[in-house]
Amino acid sequence: MNKLIPFFLFLVCTNVLLSQSSDIKVNQPPAVKVFQTFKDTRVINTHATEMLPKGKLDFRIGHRFGDAGGALGGWNNFYGLENASDVLIGFEYGLNDNVMIGINRTKGSSELRQNINTLVKIRLMHQEYDGNKPFSLALLGVTSTSTMPGSDFPGSLSFFTKKAHRMSYHLSVILSKKISNYFSLQVNGSWTYRNLVPLFIDPPSDTNDLASVGLAGKVQLTKAFGIVLDYTVPISGLRTPSNGYYHPFGFGLEWETGGGHVFQMNFTNSTGLSETDYIPYTTSNWFDGEFRWGFTISRQFTVR
Amino acid sequence: MKSIIFIPLFILGFILVKKPETPSAVPINDRTVNSVLSELGENNRDKQPDYTMTGVSAEKGRELVIDGFTTSDGKKTSKQSKHFKCISCHNVVKEDIDLSNPDPQARLEFTNDLGIPFLQGTTLYGAVNRSTYYNGDYAKKYGDLVKPARNDIRGAIQLCAVECAQGRELKDWEIESILAYLWFLELKMTDLVFSTDELRKVVAPAASIDARAKKADLIKSKFASGAAANFEYPPDDRKKGYVGLMGVPDNGKLIYENSCLYCHENKKYSFLHLDSSKLSFKSLNGKVGTYHPHSIYQVARWGVTSKSGKSSYMPQYPIEKMSNQQLEDLRSYIALKAE
Repeated sequence: MNKLIPFFLFLVCTNVLLSQSSDIKVNQPPAVKVFQTFKDTRVINTHATEMLPKGKLDFRIGHRFGDAGGALGGWNNFYGLENASDVLIGFEYGLNDNVMIGINRTKGSSELRQNINTLVKIRLMHQEYDGNKPFSLALLGVTSTSTMPGSDFPGSLSFFTKKAHRMSYHLSVILSKKISNYFSLQVNGSWTYRNLVPLFIDPPSDTNDLASVGLAGKVQLTKAFGIVLDYTVPISGLRTPSNGYYHPFGFGLEWETGGGHVFQMNFTNSTGLSETDYIPYTTSNWFDGEFRWGFTISRQFTVR
Repeated sequence: MKSIIFIPLFILGFILVKKPETPSAVPINDRTVNSVLSELGENNRDKQPDYTMTGVSAEKGRELVIDGFTTSDGKKTSKQSKHFKCISCHNVVKEDIDLSNPDPQARLEFTNDLGIPFLQGTTLYGAVNRSTYYNGDYAKKYGDLVKPARNDIRGAIQLCAVECAQGRELKDWEIESILAYLWFLELKMTDLVFSTDELRKVVAPAASIDARAKKADLIKSKFASGAAANFEYPPDDRKKGYVGLMGVPDNGKLIYENSCLYCHENKKYSFLHLDSSKLSFKSLNGKVGTYHPHSIYQVARWGVTSKSGKSSYMPQYPIEKMSNQQLEDLRSYIALKAE
């Protein structure tokens, strides 16, 4: 029996210590979550870890004009402004502060056109100023369905023998950190899957799977005005300049005009707006003047 | 025998004619202002909630005020407003030390000590003890809308819900529930500031109608029957500010943190995010002297208007809620932090 006394004392002491530590935790003020690592749910092309607040409906219009320079740009089409390589119109909605859903239509810039895209984004971790969460982490899922008329030519990307051939998918893990009020950084790792891919002989045929990594950042110059940039690198031996593919890179100027209105004007070599479009199919080269102006208008409404 | 019959009649007549004050067994300090005034002949019955109405409860009223929604038949009601809750603009505790002399500077210090915000709206504490609402210049702002609200607390609750909060109309049982909750926030005798002599008069029995009326008047003089509201103009020259006033940054800090940030931090009740970063201060400082909607003179004195698709707006501060000196204090704090 005497041998058990130290054991019970140990249990009591442990309990007291644990109770104290939990009391300390209870008395700690809640950690403050960082606000606006980025001002929008997108950086330029890539999604940010930013979420729509619960009950907010975001109506957004994105636009990518034609090539500013190069063979297809210049004065003839007013430096691309008279062409639209892609247009996005859609709605997104915050189910809660950490889950948002969305649906949009894009014109599409690759062979797959008239796309209906749906998305789900879940924030798993929200960076805190003085807490144990040093960064924000989000998961993004996108589906794209081309609603264009099917082609009659076998080998074409729009030669849909099955309905499933119209579909593409995208998954992304996004990690961001607001380093200061003036600077935010983000990296992401993504996997894009297309049910139907182009068949080539030389270069060899494309693969359904396509992994990619991305880097994005924001420099906030004033309270309302900032510079954003993002860069995506598809990890694929096929996607090299010698095969006509280029890495999507963009930078943009964004400003918040008050009233929840964020206006962004960007310059990017990617022609597409959805992940299933611009990651596999960017074939424009910055150094050939094949970049374009683009803008995004986002307007949020409180639904509930 | 006849004289025996007259005795109860005489007593009854005495009661009816004399209506003597029947002192409560409860010490005066523990009593509500309304209960004391009722004993003195003041009638406040029209402000009592109608508990016979289905669904009325003070708890539901509290939920509507604090959370912006409640439950009905076990189901969550829709939010009263998508934009605001009552507590966005109103505290629910006493916010003036001397209720007979509401002073914005004393209120700022008092609310700061309590750790509660410094707001445009009058506290809901003691609302049932007031007799007028949407006073003074609110008639300029809301026009005829204030007519059904000025002398009727139910009308005031509804106007606040629909116009100020830009929300849905409250149902009758919701208004009665809010009223029921507001009665939990009624003034206590200890909230009133009496001199020793005045307190002696309050405690002393008052037999005659005249004495009771005087006593009631004395008590009523210790709190405002309605919150005064006078809208002040921005300074003539916004770059120079209000003439002759020198800002005190430490005081401005209290205003910025307890007022501006209460609504604007993380866009809590607004579309503009403000925080304690230099970016925020520089932005505000650059607009102070302008007519921009983010100029503190503009928003504090005129408020902001609704934007397309966004019906909510920031109400202005009447001078009784933020003095010109306080506005200069705020300006000086912003300028200091923007350097």
